[in-house]
Amino acid sequence: MAQVTKVLTAGIGEANLRDIGVYRERGGYKQWQRAIRELQPADVLDLCDKSGLRGRGGAGFPTGRKWQFLPKDKALRYLVCNCDEAEPGTFKDHMLLEEAPHLVLEGILLGSYAIACHHAYIYIRGEFKRGYEIFCAAIEEARAAGYLGKNVFGSEFDIEVTAHRGAGAYICGEETALLNSLEGKRGEPRLKPPFPAVAGLYGAPTVVNNVETLAYLVPILEKGAQWFAAVGTERSKGYKIISISGHVQKPGNYEVPLGTTVRELIDIAGGLRPGRTLAAVQPGGGSSACIFEEHLDLPYDYENMAKAGSMLGSGAFVVFDDTTDFVKAAHNLVRFFAHESCGQCTPCREGGHWMERVLERLVHNRGVPGDLEMLDRVSATITGINLCPLGDSIEPFLKSVLRRFHDQFAERILREETLPA
Amino acid sequence: MTGSGTSEREQNFPALLERLRPECEQLVARYERKRSALLPICHLFQLHEGFVSKEAMRAAASMLDLTPAEVEGTVSFYTLFFRRPVGKYVLQVCRGLACSINGAEDLMAYFREKLGVGHLQTTADGTFSYEEVECLAACDRATCMQVNLEFVYDLTPQKIDEMLAAMRAGTYATSPMAQTEAPAATWSVPQDDQVATGRKSSGALGQPSPNNAGGVGDESGIIMLDRILAGDVGFYERTSERAVRDSRAVTEVVEAEKNGGNGASH
Repeated sequence: MAQVTKVLTAGIGEANLRDIGVYRERGGYKQWQRAIRELQPADVLDLCDKSGLRGRGGAGFPTGRKWQFLPKDKALRYLVCNCDEAEPGTFKDHMLLEEAPHLVLEGILLGSYAIACHHAYIYIRGEFKRGYEIFCAAIEEARAAGYLGKNVFGSEFDIEVTAHRGAGAYICGEETALLNSLEGKRGEPRLKPPFPAVAGLYGAPTVVNNVETLAYLVPILEKGAQWFAAVGTERSKGYKIISISGHVQKPGNYEVPLGTTVRELIDIAGGLRPGRTLAAVQPGGGSSACIFEEHLDLPYDYENMAKAGSMLGSGAFVVFDDTTDFVKAAHNLVRFFAHESCGQCTPCREGGHWMERVLERLVHNRGVPGDLEMLDRVSATITGINLCPLGDSIEPFLKSVLRRFHDQFAERILREETLPA
Repeated sequence: MTGSGTSEREQNFPALLERLRPECEQLVARYERKRSALLPICHLFQLHEGFVSKEAMRAAASMLDLTPAEVEGTVSFYTLFFRRPVGKYVLQVCRGLACSINGAEDLMAYFREKLGVGHLQTTADGTFSYEEVECLAACDRATCMQVNLEFVYDLTPQKIDEMLAAMRAGTYATSPMAQTEAPAATWSVPQDDQVATGRKSSGALGQPSPNNAGGVGDESGIIMLDRILAGDVGFYERTSERAVRDSRAVTEVVEAEKNGGNGASH
């Protein structure tokens, strides 16, 4: 049986890590001090690169390489921590923000130092009002202790951290929409290129990193790149917090080495309810396709999830047992994306609502012949032709369950003889 | 402005603005560009007025060197900014997938029955505003909700009864929203109603389209979608095409301004 390994989650639920004193007793801010006193920014970047750490927000892009995209000739650059967690099924950043704010802050400081940024921002989802207040208090505690501000630890390094609260919009988790929202605009994704590394916040080179990604910098500095890279699979290194929910007995955040199998993850979360059998798992948030029984022994990592036709995404792992109505589930997620579309791109804006309405008919057993073919065609049509990935996120779940549970959909279609004239 | 007279809230607004101005200035100082303070300033006004009023938007515009239209255009993008008064307790129940497969629908039906109002509606006594919202990132403690943005986890009908009773009695732990004006039956504005019912870009069937976008339910939208599906209408390399067009447009405007500001002469 696979092991839960508490790295970022160590102490959560046991100690009050919101208190800077408690965090320090457990070794907090030591790595920040060591980085400033003993390491060059390039050393921190190198450690991150060698550790194989990949972005934990969804895309899985190697963090070190992302930092290296920043143009070398521009001194002004920004680090933005993405805490706009809203992918259906994800709840790890919510936990880190509220339960381990100083760890998140130390990660932000280390990331800022690595890329020589002097003003970092954290964009916090509007709904996380409590988390925002907790994080603002953590910033003030750290400031009072001299961990941020001018001349940190008597060095030449200045760093300011500003917490910014959103106001309700899933799309702001997309990095360029996030930057627009941080600039006080509508959270609409930008045209790329230019990518944020070239022209991001206020037009300056910017790196946007997820909360969990930045938090992992702290143990990587403490224990070394090798410690992290030794765990996981060939191209998916280290640990990851998996948010397991749905039809399991003990839903929660579980930190495991990448490559733990799908079956082991279900077991870790207490398994299915008695007498129930597995129908499907959505392994990477609302945007991901389902995987099924035949995938149970796959290692849960970026490559194997992609090979199975899905993705690891943000690590939101939703389990469905045999009681699940997949027509309702598909309607639920399509409605979500339709609701959250920013409206810039016609295929996403119109297609989402179109599909939502067709699915709503099906939910109420009022489907008309041709509806399932229409869902197929519309979802394929709107995929790949939008500015950002939101429009492309509508298809995967729907398509996977429409294929697998075709009967559940087909039986909601009115037969010819019962159709209204 | 509403009607002929001014409400008590409107009369009090100048004093509130003067009281909040220093805090607004502090918020502006946190950022390298003024406009970034727009969301925090709107949060602040909502905290004090219970919603983001027209007066607040105008004040924000003047503090940040924006037009009121730019401010309203931004504010209207975000679901947590209310542009109309709401109830003392804003109940936002999660309708996300993890909650949904754990019984959220039954609980939402329970709420609707107990409150006598539906999605995006406020009770007649102005106490409760009810909304069904997207995933709140607390799926391990489904079903969940927020009350004035404070989380409530592991909902049960009994918990809901106790909560509503405590709110009615004024003994509930979370503070009520500021209420400076009596709320109407809904706080959503007409365009938002369409978002809520899935008719975002144009009018409902049989209704005039507010922005003639030709979207869902609109006849021209149906025709367009059919044409897309039939392959009559292709999508070009939108990205590069638009980039070229947009950059040219910017240059044209700049050039026109240089030549005496007559941008419309092209």
